[in-house]
Amino acid sequence: MSTVESRPLVGAGVNRVDGPRKVTGTAPYPMDFSVPGQAYGALVQSTVSAGRIIRMDTEEAERSPGVISVLTHENAPQVGTGPTTVLGEAPPAPLRNDRVMHHGQHIAFVVAETPEQAAAAARLVHAEYEAAEPLLDLQDPRAQHLVDPWKMDHSRGDVSAALEAADVIVRGTYFTADNTNNPLGLFATLAAWEEDTLTVHDTSQWPSMVRTTLAMVFGIPESSVRVLVPYVGGGFGAGLRAWPHVILTAMAARTTKRPVKLVLTRPQMFTSVGHRPSGVQWLSVGASRDGGLVALDHRSLSSLSMEDNDYEPFSHGTAFAYQCPNVITRDQQAKLNIAVPTSMRAPAEAQGSFALESALDELAYTLRMDPLELRIRNHTEVDPRNGLPWSGKALLECYEVGARRFGWADRSPEPRSMRDGNWLVGYGMASAMFPYFATPCMAEATVNRDGSAFVRSAATDIGTGTYTVMAQLSAEELGLPLDKVRFDLGDSDMPDSMMAGGSGLTGALGNAVHDACRRLVGLFADLARGDADSPLLGASPEDVEVSGGRVHLAGRPDRGESYADILARHGLAQLTATGSSRPPDPAEIGMSPAGAYGAKFVEVRVDADLGIVRVARVVSAIDGGRILNEKTARSQIIGGTVGGIGMALFEDTVTDPRTGRIANGTFGDYLVAVNADIPELDVIFVGEPDRGTPTGTKGVGEVGLVGIAPAIANAVYHATGKRIRDLPITIDNLL
Amino acid sequence: MRTFEYVRATDTQEVVRMLAEDPSASCLAGGTTQLDLMKDGVLEPPTLIDITRLPLHGIERRGESLHVGALATMEELAADSTVAERLPVVREALLLGASVQLRNMATIGGNLLQRTRCRYFRDPAVLECNKRAPGTGCAAVQGAARMHAVLGVNENCIALHASDLAVALVALDAVVHIQGLSGRRTVPLTEFYVTADESPERENVLEHAELITEVEIPLPPPSARSGYLKVRDRVSYEFALTSAAVVLVVEDGTIRQARVGLGGVGSKPWRAYEAEHVLTGAPATSATFQDASEATMRDAWTVPGTAFKVPLARRTLVRELQTVSGVTA
Ligand SMILES: Cc1cc2nc3c(=O)[nH]c(=O)nc-3n(C[C@H](O)[C@H](O)[C@H](O)COP(=O)(O)OP(=O)(O)OC[C@H]3O[C@@H](n4cnc5c(N)ncnc54)[C@H](O)[C@@H]3O)c2cc1C
Repeated sequence: MSTVESRPLVGAGVNRVDGPRKVTGTAPYPMDFSVPGQAYGALVQSTVSAGRIIRMDTEEAERSPGVISVLTHENAPQVGTGPTTVLGEAPPAPLRNDRVMHHGQHIAFVVAETPEQAAAAARLVHAEYEAAEPLLDLQDPRAQHLVDPWKMDHSRGDVSAALEAADVIVRGTYFTADNTNNPLGLFATLAAWEEDTLTVHDTSQWPSMVRTTLAMVFGIPESSVRVLVPYVGGGFGAGLRAWPHVILTAMAARTTKRPVKLVLTRPQMFTSVGHRPSGVQWLSVGASRDGGLVALDHRSLSSLSMEDNDYEPFSHGTAFAYQCPNVITRDQQAKLNIAVPTSMRAPAEAQGSFALESALDELAYTLRMDPLELRIRNHTEVDPRNGLPWSGKALLECYEVGARRFGWADRSPEPRSMRDGNWLVGYGMASAMFPYFATPCMAEATVNRDGSAFVRSAATDIGTGTYTVMAQLSAEELGLPLDKVRFDLGDSDMPDSMMAGGSGLTGALGNAVHDACRRLVGLFADLARGDADSPLLGASPEDVEVSGGRVHLAGRPDRGESYADILARHGLAQLTATGSSRPPDPAEIGMSPAGAYGAKFVEVRVDADLGIVRVARVVSAIDGGRILNEKTARSQIIGGTVGGIGMALFEDTVTDPRTGRIANGTFGDYLVAVNADIPELDVIFVGEPDRGTPTGTKGVGEVGLVGIAPAIANAVYHATGKRIRDLPITIDNLL
Repeated sequence: MRTFEYVRATDTQEVVRMLAEDPSASCLAGGTTQLDLMKDGVLEPPTLIDITRLPLHGIERRGESLHVGALATMEELAADSTVAERLPVVREALLLGASVQLRNMATIGGNLLQRTRCRYFRDPAVLECNKRAPGTGCAAVQGAARMHAVLGVNENCIALHASDLAVALVALDAVVHIQGLSGRRTVPLTEFYVTADESPERENVLEHAELITEVEIPLPPPSARSGYLKVRDRVSYEFALTSAAVVLVVEDGTIRQARVGLGGVGSKPWRAYEAEHVLTGAPATSATFQDASEATMRDAWTVPGTAFKVPLARRTLVRELQTVSGVTA
C-alpha cells in the first residue's frame, strides 16, 4: 500500500466550501427545517431522580389551547430498541413504564399547534411520584459497579513487585467533574410520516445509525426511513446516539398523523443528550532514579446512569502511552440516578491523561528532572501491547518543535520562582495522544457528461470541515479543479458512513473517497483502453493518470482525453463507482495503527492573593499525519484547546446532592470559556503522512483537547507550588 | 398558552395608578430580568406594563450630584462624561457587568431591582424556596451553593443580590427617588434593601404601586479616587464571586474619607462601615488595609460551598484599596 503523494490542492488552507452559506445564514440547521402542517412537541421531564410515577394528570394539558395530544407511559405505543453499535447498546426506549431513573427523564410528550402552546401545556402535566432515595454520589458504596465494561483492562509485568522495588513512587487521587457538551445549536428533530415511510431531520453526527435505530424501533424496513442532516450546529459527541427525544418525536408524529418538530431547550440539553462523566482515578507511578518508568498502576471509577451505557475507558491510554514494563489499568463504572453520560470531545483520554500527565509532572519534580526530559526518556516507538512499531509517531518532533517555539528552556525550574507583579507565572507541559479509531465506511463518486464530479457519503460535517476536505481530496483524486467537484453528505440514503466521532471520520471517509475515486478513474481507463478511437488504447491501468479533467498516460498529459469525451463517445450520461475503507489490520500492515500525538506547552498566571488563574499562552505541536487542509485542521486544534481550557478552569455540571437536579443548566450558570479567556493559541503541525492507510491522515478532532488540562494543572503547580488534582481548578482551590 | 396583557404606558402617574389597581401587574423596563423570569415560569404576571416610554431617561448633573433617570441604560450611564471624570467606580462596576448587548437594554432602575441568580429560585420545579414561595424552606442551603451570599443570610435563604452597580452606589450614598400614589419620596440606597435573614421574599422597601424614577448620586470630592474590582472565574460575562467598590480621599498619606461597598457576598449590596471606620483617619498603608479587611465579614454565615468567600472578599478589598490608593507597601 503506498501513500498518495501530496499535490497542492490537498493540504492547502482552502476556505470552507460551506463558509458563504454559514455566514449569510442560509445553511439550514436541523431546527431551521419545517414542513407544511407540522405540529410542535414539548417534553415533560421528571422532577425526582428515582422512584415511580403513581399518577399522571394530563387533563389540564389536554384542554389547554392548541393541544393535539399528550403521550405518557400510560398511552404511548410500546416500541423496540435500536442497534448495539461500537459505542454500546442503544439508549432505552422512552415511556416504557412508570419508573424514574434520573431527574430530567422524559415522562410525557405534548404535541400542539404552536411551540408556545406545546411548552405552556407541558407545564400543566402533573406527575405524582413515589420517590425513592436516589444514588447520586460517585463514591456511594451502595452503587452497583460495572467491572471492566469494555474488556479493555490491561496488565503486563508485575506491577506490585515493581512498585516495591522502585526508587521513587508517586501516588495520587484525581477527580474530574461532569462536563456538558453544550454545542451552540439546540438539538432538534422534525419527523414526518407518509404512510409507513419516515423522513427525519435530526441533529446527529451519525445519520445511518439514526436511520437503523428508527427502523428497528418502529419495526419498518431501513429503506423506509430517511434521516437528513446537512448541517449540525456542533455536537462534541452529543450527536452520536439516537436519543429518546428523537424516538418520541417520531412516535408522536405517527400517533398524531402530523409532522412533529421538537427543539430542546438549553436546560433540557443538560439531561437529554449526554455529558462527559465525572470520575475518580487512582494512579501510582514507580520510577528509577534516572527517570525510567518501572510501574504504572492506573484505576478509575466513572459515573454511569442506571439503564444505559457509555464508552469511557479512562485508564486505557496508560497501557500504551509510554515505555514501561509493568502496567495495570482497571476501569469501573458506578450506576447512579443520573442522566446518561456520553462521549464528549476526547472521551476517556481527556480524563485519563489528566491523571497520568499530572502524575508524571509530580514525578519529574520529585526526581528534580525536567518534565519534558522525563517524557522523552520514556518515549516508545512501538506499541507496548503488541510490540509492533507505530504506523506513525512524531511525538519526539512535537516535543522538540513545541518546546523551542514556547521557550521551554527559559523556565526557572523551581515552583513559585517566576513572578510578574501580583501574578505568579508558571509553565507546564503535557504529552497528548488520541488513539486510532475507525469503522468501515463507504463513499460514491460520479463524473457527469460535462466532466464535473459529484462525490457523496452519509457522513456529517459537524463544523470540522468534512465538506471542504473531502471536496479537496476528491478533486485531487479525480484530477479536477475544486469548483468542478461537489461533495455531499448528511443523508442516510447515501452510501453508509461511519460516525463523525472518535477522530475517525476524516481517515475512514478519506480512504473510502480515495477508493471510490480510484475505482472511478479505473472505469474510465477501462473504457478508453479498449476503445480504438482513444489515445489510451491498450494502455495498462498502472500507466493511467488524471489531471486537468483528463485521463492520460502517466507524465504525458497530451496522451489522453477528457472525461467528457469518453462519456460522449460511449453514449453515457455519467459513470459512478463506490469505494470503501476498513480499519487496517495490524497483522496485515505489520504496524500498530497510530492516532494523533501532540505536545502541549502552557503559561499560566495565578494571582498570588486572589487565586485567579488565567492562561497566558498555549503552544500545541501536533502530529496529525497528513493534513488535508491546514486551515480547518488548525481550527480543530484551536477549538480543542478552548475546550481543554474550559475543562481545566470552568466547566462543571453541578448536580444537586439531594435531588439529582442539574443546578446550573443554563449558559448563565454553566461556564464555558469566553473569548476574553482565550489567549493567542499557537498551533504547529509536524510529522509525516501516516503509513497505515492510503490517505495517511490521522484525526485531529480530539487531540487538541487532550493534555491541555494537565498542562494547565502542571503550570499552576509551577506557578504556586500547589498541586491541584481536582478539575476544574477554581479560585476556591487556590486561596 | 400562558397569555398576558401588554400595556405601553407614557405617563408615570398613570403607571402608579394601574399598579395600585392591579396587585399582580408587573413593570417591564429593559426586560433582561423580567422576561427571563417569565420564560422560566418564576413570574407569571397577567399584565405587563411597558414603562420604557416614560420620560425617565435623562442623565443630568446638578451641582455636585448626578441625577440618573431610572430608564437610562447601563451603557448610557457608563458613557456619561461626569461618570468618566468623577465616578470611575460606577463606570467600572457597569462595564464589568453582563455584556454589551445586555447593557444596551438594561436600565439603571431595573439593575437595582434585578432578582437573585440563585438557580433554586429560578427553577419553579424546585419546591423549597422561601423567596419564591414563603414558608417552603431553602433548597440552596442544603444544595449546591457557590454563587450565594454569606452576609445578611441564614438557613432560610442565602440568595445573593448580584448587582455590581448597586455595590458602587451604596458606597457613594446614592439616593433612590420614588413615585407613589400619594406623591414622591426619597430613600437612601443603604436603606432601600432588606436582607434575606429579615425576609427572604421581600427584597426592598419599594411598594407594589411605586416606581423608581431616578437615582441621585452625590459626587465625591474632586480629590477622591475610586475604583471597582470584580473577582470571578472567567474574565468576562460572569457575576462576581466577590467584589469591592472603594472611594478614598487620601491627603499626605492619611485617609481622610473612605467609602467601601462589597459585592458577591450579601443578600443586599453591602456597605462595609466597619472597614470605613478602620480606614478613616488611619495612614494609607497595606497594614491599615489589612486591618480594615479583617474588620469585615465578621458576621458571615457560610455553607461549605460559600466559605471561601470570607477570605476572598477580604483579599479583594485589600487589593482594591491598594489599587485605588496607589499604596502597595
Ligand atoms: C446573562 C446576564 C448576565 C448579567 N450579568 C450581570 C452582571 O455581571 N452584573 C450586574 O450588575 N448585572 C448583571 N445582569 C443583570 C442585569 O444588569 C439586569 O438584568 C438589568 O440591569 C435589569 O434591568 P432591566 O431594565 O432589564 O430590568 P427589567 O428586567 O425590565 O426589570 C427588572 C425588575 O425591575 C422592575 N423595574 C424595572 N424598572 C423599574 C422602575 N423604574 N420602577 C419600578 N420597578 C422597575 C421590573 O418590574 C422587574 O421586576 C445580568 C443579566 C443577565 C441576563
